[in-house]
Amino acid sequence: MAQRRSPSRRDGAGGTILPVPNLLQADGVSKHYGGVAALRDARFSIQAGEVHALIGENGAGKSTLAKIMAGAVRADRGTIAVDGRPVTIATPLDAQRLGIGIIYQELDLFPHLTVGENMAIGNLGLRESLLVRFGRLEDFCRPYLEQVGLTCSLRQPAGSLPIGKQQLLAIARALSMNVRILMMDEPTSSLSEDAVDRLFGLIRELKGRGVALVYVSHKMDEIFRICDRATVLRDGKTIRTVETAATTPSEIIRLMVGRDVRMATRTERRATGEVVLSVDRLTTAKLKSVSFELRRGEVLGVAGLVGAGRSELGAALFGLDTIRSGTVCRGGRPIAPRSPSDAMRHGIGLTPEDRRLEGLMMSMSVLENGTMTVLQRMQTWGFLRGRQETRELSAVGRQLALNCPSLGAAVATLSGGNQQKVLLARWLLLDPEVLFLDDPTRGIDIGAKQDIYRIIDDLASAGKGVILVSSELPELLRCCDRIVVLCDGRVTAVYEAKEATQENIMASATNAAPNGGGTR
Amino acid sequence: MKRPDSSEERDRGVARRPGGPPHLLAASARFLLRSAHSLVALLGIVILAVAISPTASDGSRIFLQAGNLTDILRQISLIGIISLAMTFVILTGGIDLSVGSILALSTTLVAMGLTRAWQGASYTSHILWAILAAVAASTLAGALNGVVIASLRIQPFVVTLASMIGVRGLAKWLSKNENIDIGFGRDVAAEFAAVFREKAIVIGSYACAAVLFWVLLGRTVFGRHVRAIGDNERAAEYAGLPILGTRVWVYSLSGLLSGFAGVLYAAENHQGNPNAGVAYELDAIAAVVIGGTRLAGGKGSISGTIVGTLIMGVLTNMLRLNNVDSNLEMMIKAVIIVLAVAVQRTQEKI
Repeated sequence: MAQRRSPSRRDGAGGTILPVPNLLQADGVSKHYGGVAALRDARFSIQAGEVHALIGENGAGKSTLAKIMAGAVRADRGTIAVDGRPVTIATPLDAQRLGIGIIYQELDLFPHLTVGENMAIGNLGLRESLLVRFGRLEDFCRPYLEQVGLTCSLRQPAGSLPIGKQQLLAIARALSMNVRILMMDEPTSSLSEDAVDRLFGLIRELKGRGVALVYVSHKMDEIFRICDRATVLRDGKTIRTVETAATTPSEIIRLMVGRDVRMATRTERRATGEVVLSVDRLTTAKLKSVSFELRRGEVLGVAGLVGAGRSELGAALFGLDTIRSGTVCRGGRPIAPRSPSDAMRHGIGLTPEDRRLEGLMMSMSVLENGTMTVLQRMQTWGFLRGRQETRELSAVGRQLALNCPSLGAAVATLSGGNQQKVLLARWLLLDPEVLFLDDPTRGIDIGAKQDIYRIIDDLASAGKGVILVSSELPELLRCCDRIVVLCDGRVTAVYEAKEATQENIMASATNAAPNGGGTR
Repeated sequence: MKRPDSSEERDRGVARRPGGPPHLLAASARFLLRSAHSLVALLGIVILAVAISPTASDGSRIFLQAGNLTDILRQISLIGIISLAMTFVILTGGIDLSVGSILALSTTLVAMGLTRAWQGASYTSHILWAILAAVAASTLAGALNGVVIASLRIQPFVVTLASMIGVRGLAKWLSKNENIDIGFGRDVAAEFAAVFREKAIVIGSYACAAVLFWVLLGRTVFGRHVRAIGDNERAAEYAGLPILGTRVWVYSLSGLLSGFAGVLYAAENHQGNPNAGVAYELDAIAAVVIGGTRLAGGKGSISGTIVGTLIMGVLTNMLRLNNVDSNLEMMIKAVIIVLAVAVQRTQEKI
């Protein structure tokens, strides 16, 4: 490859002195999902032999940008040039021809196929005829497997490998496709400490051979350990590209959270009521010794990056995940919810993170969805009392400022915000003492967000305990009395409303050392 | 225009009139709207049947004779009854392949019960007990399906395929591989057959079951749960719905109705037949699918299934009146099934 120099040796973030051509350059990339903009005129460029971090908050657009460059998602607008020539990357096969590979967080291997088959599938380097001879497959795969240090039988199902080795297999597969640009989306999210070390060793080796690596992550320490440069995305826009040697974690965090706009003031509350929920050293498959207390009339925020265990906390409280150790007390009495209906009997409610997959029955009506949890009190001998259903749901709908053509309309026809309100209606009707709201404002418009904030305030004023999970820090600051920060299943900090700032929450969530440590 | 969703139509009606109870006219109007597309298909087939119907000696069309029309209803009744419960099963996203075998078990049991001597029992109680035993055993077989499906989380296709084989085996074993004949004399079995093969009884049973299941689906907590589970099982879990129990009930109902259909079958054919009901599950599924119920669950209606059953019945009758070869009849039915579903798909998308 032509350019073999380490870009980190050149100075200045914006001002490149040496005119080293970019291996890949993306300009003005925009992507909308429905009405929501995931990317707006994003820019990104990478040079050969460079490890380049793409960093941003949840929903900043980093995964979308990576997927666009890998041909998995098509951009609405924008240009991508490889080696200075504009290219069209419409499919993953196009990307493969250009030498662009991607390794997804959830590893797109076929778990039931063998290691050899996984290497062969869709691989242009191996396409000779309809049949793949095993002997040739062996010859083809070995060098790449050795390169990544993976020793296993080609005939072993990929799913039987431990996750770290699966990752190596995915990398070997990408290498076998003659990759020049390799993108990794959160590669360490499920790796153990020594697997991470091995991965980083491999990354350095690839870098030495002139491969350009895009490292999508929000783990600050890793970025400072392995990356030369970092491009910060926020709200779908490229904020700035910085050299990691010339910056600090706190500087990057400031770029990530950026917005100084203070949201509407939050109502001052002083939650002095009794403890409605106390969690002591709660441990599940994902959570490690999580403890906190929730008081009557309090809104407790849960901050953390995707995968930090926020939703798993809800799952444990709501009887969906098995509690391995630790206790949960509701109103002073220990409980061990075994199912959602069990949790509901104990006065705990939950709106799930993904309202389409986990929340709503999309082809059923607003009315049917809204009263789903309270049918028991709206029936006589199993027969539904339609008038009572309509009356109660209409009342709650007004409270929520629910906007729908009729209560009979299918929820699928409503906007995201109104769908979320239908889910909330379920719980307002059931009226549990503790309500766990898992990212209730994800992907909904500003107006509906304000309505939901107001409802959260109302719930707290009515003496309920609310746990609010959110990816948007300003939202947590606006709504919460206290904020628990999770990282990797552990509580890394608890902030009172007064002392919480976006910066210190983000620092705790990324587990960055307070003074910008991080070893290189 | 988007085809109005079945539930949507009904509840919009409720929402618009928060005061009064839904009256009959509105109810039937909504029934028409909901199954509009299948009704149009039914209408088309009826018109065709009238048009090509052979004429009797007095010049009237045989298809339109009262005797013929009631014959159609009687012929569809068994499949019709089975397909009512099959609608529930499919609405939960499941399938029940064992209905034909359960029907055979029921015919066998009811015939065995009736041909046993029972000193001192009145005809009425003897008949009632025989029916009750057959239907109870069928319900139990269905419940067993449901328990295995819900608790072991095995696909309904596999479980009911197994019980389709196993229950058939049970019926054959009980009857020692022979048909159990019900005589034409004046004994209790003949008396039973005489009553339960009566057109009015058969069609009446179907009508009653249809109304019951229509109410069950549209007006009860159970029906709501059935649709919710089929629409989104994960969300149903998050909403704390009784998924396991609902599934067991749905398959139990399927067993119950299959068993009841078996009783009618025994009366009609004057025998308990362990080989009865082969491929009935396919006819029932076809009727449900033609009626617009989504095979993946969540969406569908009893009224649609009734129309679907009628379409198949009228079609069969029309072809037989015109002496169409029965093999050709099957091919035509195949086309109708695909056409019906294709039309619904396009309407859903627009």
